[in-house]
Amino acid sequence: MTKHLIRAALVGAMVTAAALFVATTRAGAEHDGMRHPIYMPNVNNIGNPALQPPPICCLPGSPFAAGVPVPPNMGYYGGHVQVTPKVYLVFWGWGQAGAFDHTTPGAPTDDPDGAAQRMTNFVKAMGGTDWAGVQTQYYETDNGQNVYIQNPTNQFGGAWYDDTNPIHDNVTGLELAQEAQRAVAHFGVTDLHSSQFIIAQPQKYDEEGFNSGAGYCAWHDYTQQQYYPGVQEGISFTNMPYVLNSGTSCGQNSVNTGFYAGRLDGFSIVLGHEIEETVTDPGAEDVINGVNLGGWYDQSAWENGDKCAWVGYTDGITAPSTVPGGLNNITGNDGKKYPVQSLWSNDAAGGTGYCAGAGNDLPG
Amino acid sequence: MSRAKALVVLVPAALALFAGVAIASSTSVTITTPKEGQTFSKKRVPQLPVTGGVTFAAANQNTSLFYVRRNGCGTSSDNPHLSISTGTDAGSGCGSLINGVVGAGGDADAGAFVDYATADGMPLSLDTSRNVTGTFDIQGFIGPGQAGVMEADVSLEALVDGQGVEIGSVTEMVVLDPTASDNLVDFTITPNAGLDQKDLSGIDLRLHLHGPYAFSGFVATNGLSFVNVPSYTASTHKGVLLSLDDPTFASPIPVAINSAGDGWSVVIPTPAVGKHTLYVQSVQGFDASSVVARHFTVDK
Repeated sequence: MTKHLIRAALVGAMVTAAALFVATTRAGAEHDGMRHPIYMPNVNNIGNPALQPPPICCLPGSPFAAGVPVPPNMGYYGGHVQVTPKVYLVFWGWGQAGAFDHTTPGAPTDDPDGAAQRMTNFVKAMGGTDWAGVQTQYYETDNGQNVYIQNPTNQFGGAWYDDTNPIHDNVTGLELAQEAQRAVAHFGVTDLHSSQFIIAQPQKYDEEGFNSGAGYCAWHDYTQQQYYPGVQEGISFTNMPYVLNSGTSCGQNSVNTGFYAGRLDGFSIVLGHEIEETVTDPGAEDVINGVNLGGWYDQSAWENGDKCAWVGYTDGITAPSTVPGGLNNITGNDGKKYPVQSLWSNDAAGGTGYCAGAGNDLPG
Repeated sequence: MSRAKALVVLVPAALALFAGVAIASSTSVTITTPKEGQTFSKKRVPQLPVTGGVTFAAANQNTSLFYVRRNGCGTSSDNPHLSISTGTDAGSGCGSLINGVVGAGGDADAGAFVDYATADGMPLSLDTSRNVTGTFDIQGFIGPGQAGVMEADVSLEALVDGQGVEIGSVTEMVVLDPTASDNLVDFTITPNAGLDQKDLSGIDLRLHLHGPYAFSGFVATNGLSFVNVPSYTASTHKGVLLSLDDPTFASPIPVAINSAGDGWSVVIPTPAVGKHTLYVQSVQGFDASSVVARHFTVDK
């Protein structure tokens, strides 16, 4: 705790200045057309300028280095974090006709590859792990008090197979936000601050940008009227396409090498990235009417997942788990293995910060 | 644990997996007692015998032949896969080898491999008492003008209960003859005994070619490359599910199947006074029969 307080004081001083600066400058950029969700680029688009976070005004971004940890440390921008995270999974249209082009013996027709089951198991199993525990160093400030993110064993809010509200191919971000709002009602969620909604799409009905080859695997965002008109404000949600459609670009076999053993790797890697970014930055870097809703990210607006995305990825030539902070299997609270990427830890490397939590951290 | 009980334990998991799947079934079940509409006195019949008949497909030893196939070559329809059917493949000509010769003692290896996953022929009940055998036909080999050794790493993986599990692997050494139109790589894999009689949802055959004299060439399809997987004609996992007043079989009642495998029975406590329905369904691997219902009444 002492360590937290010291760092909090230092970071607080820096961030207060930065936040004031950001609040007064980025506010003017709210409607400049540059605002977009926080993308997770695929392996082939890590450095794609179009997929980088919206710029924090007037601070130059760091140069991009594909597949390596990205310093410097993250700062706190004044918004809330998800102190007691609850993750709600929405499998939108997975049981709808045409959602999949194949079946698998022994598997449900609405989940022939086991992707929904894998994501559900992962969310149920990630609570209490060292990986999710990386988040406990980050906090929100309420009335001058720092309230730290917790890592409870149960972070699973529920799963909803929504085959009632029809989905279609090339759904828009607005439609995903609308589905998130329906999920809020379906689950009866009243605490939006610590809740997030994963809108998972089936093989044949995916989000338009993912389908178009924009180069990302997923993104997360926060509903605000100017960006999602007509949708209830304050919902943190993730666009989770069927990443197996992108194959190795979005994680297939990037940790486990067997065709079947690694086929679903991307689902927990990408989902984990988005979940933990939402936990530390549920406001998705939004600045509304001069108020910064963002939580934790660095001066280039990279969040804790962005800074460690695809670290160690080597096209399968060497195992990523041999690289500190590289993609790796973690053991969930159910005793099973789940491939994940690491998460940025300001505490790691003696406070310099590094990618951590995936079981292959830097020593010390 | 008796075999009958063990089977019953396995069955709910299998049923849960294919919940909602309508499939043609090779197993069927009937209820013999009680009779439709029968009435029992709870006082005089405190224990209710429930019996019926059942049929299962014979689970005899078999060999499942899968052909190495490929519908395209370097196109969007390029889909290396295994199929129980053969034919002319537009993809014959894919699968260049390493394009490198390092000579004796070396290893030209770009780490490249090709996966051939089953597109049909599943599920399959694996018989590990016999070996997996197969052949890759390497055609168009353009070598350095001399015969040389190439290594073929062949591995077989199964999809079992949604998880990838290795069946087995082998490295075969083959002397490639640049003057031959076909260089055959015959392989034999001893399967993982722990997978015996498992019901497989999929199989993946992986080929990784490397070695001192690996050079350009391709894996021939059109029926020339194939794998034989020892199997059974049907799943050996059989069971009968019985449920009282619950068509979802959420908590099935264990029943015993007779040694001939054509009948089942159980004695249950006679339920409370009122109208009741028994539901029964037989399962064999991923296959399930239609649900049969029987109505009866219990009075005082």
